[in-house]
Amino acid sequence: MKTVRGIVVAMLFLVTSLGGLWASGTTEQPATGAAQAVSEGNTLNAYSIWPENWARPMFQEFEKATGIHVNFVRFSSGEALSRVIAEKSNPKVDVLFGGPVETFGAGLKEGVFESYKPPAYSVLDAKYKDPDGYWIAIADDPLCFMSNKKFLQENRLSLPVSWQDLLNPAYKGMIQMADARTSGTAVTRIFSILTIFDRDETKAFDYMKKLRTNVQVYTKSGGGGTIPVGLGQAGAGIFFVVDALNTLQKGYDVAISFPKEGIGQSAEAIALITGAKHPGLAKKLIDWATTADMQNLYAKYEINFVPAYPGVETQKTLADALKGAKIFQIDPVWSGDNRARIVETWVKEVLQ
Amino acid sequence: MISPRGKGLRFLFRDPATTLSVIIIWIFLALFVLVPLVQILAASFTVGGRLSFAEIGKILGNRYEIRAAWDSVLLGTLVGLFGTALGFLFAFTAVRANLSRRWSRLLDTAMILPLISPPFTMAITVIFSFGPSGLITHDLFGLKHFNVYGLGSTLFAETITYFPIAYLTLKAILAGIDPNVEDMAFSLGSSRAEVFRRVTVPLSAPGLANAFLLLFAASLADFATPLILAGNTFPVLPTEAFLQITGMQDLKSGAALSFILLIPSFLVFILQRYWVGRKHYVTITGKSGSQTKFKSVSRLVKWILLAICVMMSLFILYFYVLLVYASLVEAFGANEQFTLSHYVVIFTEGLKAITDTLLISGVSMVLGGLYGVVLGYLITTRRFATRKTMEFISMINYSLPGTIVGIAFLIAFNNPPLALTGTAIIIILCNVSRYGAYGTRSTVAILHQIDPSIEEASSSLGASSSLTFRRITIPLILPALFSSLGIVFIRSMTAISATIFLISVDWTLITVRILENMTELQLGVSAAFSVFVVVVVYVVTLGISLFLRLFRQPGSSEISSFLGA
Repeated sequence: MKTVRGIVVAMLFLVTSLGGLWASGTTEQPATGAAQAVSEGNTLNAYSIWPENWARPMFQEFEKATGIHVNFVRFSSGEALSRVIAEKSNPKVDVLFGGPVETFGAGLKEGVFESYKPPAYSVLDAKYKDPDGYWIAIADDPLCFMSNKKFLQENRLSLPVSWQDLLNPAYKGMIQMADARTSGTAVTRIFSILTIFDRDETKAFDYMKKLRTNVQVYTKSGGGGTIPVGLGQAGAGIFFVVDALNTLQKGYDVAISFPKEGIGQSAEAIALITGAKHPGLAKKLIDWATTADMQNLYAKYEINFVPAYPGVETQKTLADALKGAKIFQIDPVWSGDNRARIVETWVKEVLQ
Repeated sequence: MISPRGKGLRFLFRDPATTLSVIIIWIFLALFVLVPLVQILAASFTVGGRLSFAEIGKILGNRYEIRAAWDSVLLGTLVGLFGTALGFLFAFTAVRANLSRRWSRLLDTAMILPLISPPFTMAITVIFSFGPSGLITHDLFGLKHFNVYGLGSTLFAETITYFPIAYLTLKAILAGIDPNVEDMAFSLGSSRAEVFRRVTVPLSAPGLANAFLLLFAASLADFATPLILAGNTFPVLPTEAFLQITGMQDLKSGAALSFILLIPSFLVFILQRYWVGRKHYVTITGKSGSQTKFKSVSRLVKWILLAICVMMSLFILYFYVLLVYASLVEAFGANEQFTLSHYVVIFTEGLKAITDTLLISGVSMVLGGLYGVVLGYLITTRRFATRKTMEFISMINYSLPGTIVGIAFLIAFNNPPLALTGTAIIIILCNVSRYGAYGTRSTVAILHQIDPSIEEASSSLGASSSLTFRRITIPLILPALFSSLGIVFIRSMTAISATIFLISVDWTLITVRILENMTELQLGVSAAFSVFVVVVVYVVTLGISLFLRLFRQPGSSEISSFLGA
């Protein structure tokens, strides 16, 4: 019977090491319950939809100002929201930071956010806040066209300045844009097109179907097509201006333009998670992020968002790029109510 | 007593050690395979707590999803076939062509690169090389409007990424075939072609089946490569499921899509068992004479084989040179000035991801390697009541697309009594339950080749059973143990599809940072992280293989690299 002693030893090792790890894992968990209401410590947890290289300096500045440390991890909007929903019964984070307003609208329906109106709430424009305080905007971000200059030159094209320009057969298979299933950028784009066609869905989807023949690929993330356009793998694309300007700043040979018919923009928001374990700290972050305290820093760190707080100046490069552009707000109630249906239609009618 | 084959149920009570191991493994499988699986099935087959086929019906009624199912099977089959063929070519060259040490080192190095890099690394370099302004299609061949998205490039990237798995499986099998068997055929007057066709290939059949299964499963589970390369005209199920879950927040239809994905996975799995079960070969016998030189390849064929392999290897190396280059310039394609700033970033801001990943992968390696080998040893050499069920269930997490395992773990372990989300342990358990299967498969493959008479001979010569276990059984399965330690470590370092759902604010992984950095336009940082992963895994691989050389038993076959042993 000793032949299998080795197996037993191995199994015991397996079990004890697992047990040990589990124990060490559980002791790291912060205490929950009544004790916490008194003291939340000085660390809060957040999911950031903003890229790490923008979120990190913001949180560092927040720590400098308040002494509160933000423990965070970055996800794209769809992934972040799925996690918040999956963790609903035992939330792991206190704040959802950044990301387009549509994401927050979808989360609101799932009941994952708690209403909180920070001091800035009353000052902000109505388009920058949920009427019941479930989310509040920290920035605004318009869409734009971005083209590869060399591609335009080789095909004797001028900078696209109309939605119709993108239907030119010269762009066949050379345009990249985001997939509406994962990207908030794509949802804003589709609602922009609907707005341009006066919400006539037949005409709007007809246009999108025509545009489909020129599309090389629909990318997972909103900015997924920027480097391909920068490298000339694709000729042009529709992106948020924050990603397009970033591509330009990296040194890629691209140009930004806006359609004369107009193009939509989407606010970037922040929200408190229902059942957050550090609600006091989370509220302090929301207070700070919704005021000029944080939004004045966009310029310093070259983050190309339009500040939402009234009176905070837009960074010069961004302001210059936006000069003369026709940009409209997408009605958040209309887009929130129709989002799921429109995305489903897009998948069926355009993508497939 | 030593070889308790065919003793039936009674054995279970006469061998408490086996019984205990079986019970422990069953608890593990129940908690970390069955519980999450039931949760995910419940999600796809219930609506409001009642049984419903609405979700499955919705998918079966959707032409696009049906096409995705066919595309997945087509892609998996092609990756399986091409990968196995390529792996066999390399393995045959490495084992049978009497290569000098230096040549076989070169092959091993080139083989290891795709295996130890994050799966989408290849996809990105393929885009750079084959796109409309790609380095190869445009700059080299002057092709314009070359469409990189679709079946061709996805197949190419997945084959290059996964064929080393076939190489390792087949190299172990080919090395295990006693050269005397081939010698006998030669002395009986067979030509080289006949020996190849009638001895070498049939003897490697279990390995070929194994390799095909591993590649098919790897392709079915890979969502990252198609996400980047397949475009919108070639939908595949794992990517569709990922998009449904993460993008549309539609866990139900994502789960239902994965349920459909289960069907081909299990079909191939059962076919493979049937085939391998029928063709059972014992080649490591107790009667082996001294090893002779292989005669199966003529000088001309040797150089042809070598030339093909070296060209392929150089082609693979090219992709990695590109990766290193991208990590050392400011912005690939725009500002190609030399910089080390991306490496500074990964060792400052990215340091947490690095330490977390190393810790998690190290623990996963030890636990997953042992678990896989013990499980493989039990189901091959011990007969107990639930043996076949156990083997089947142990393969589930491995066969399922990682996306689903990740989401299932997230739902199953978010609440007490097993509130594990947010800890490192959930990532480790996920790795162990998924990648331990590599160890199980390689142990089964090796044990299939060992004649039970070796153990019997040892005991009839008067060795105690513990001595037999220590001196005979352990050395025989040691290569399997070390190869599974290695593969679990590699997979843990490079995995993303399941673990992307399990990372948290406290524990993060390098692979997730790589994907994030790609979408954040930080291509250089992505590349630097990838290079780091490749280097670390390579160093660990070398270390284990050196360590193993010290433990080589006299008379056992030489282990040049633990992965290929």
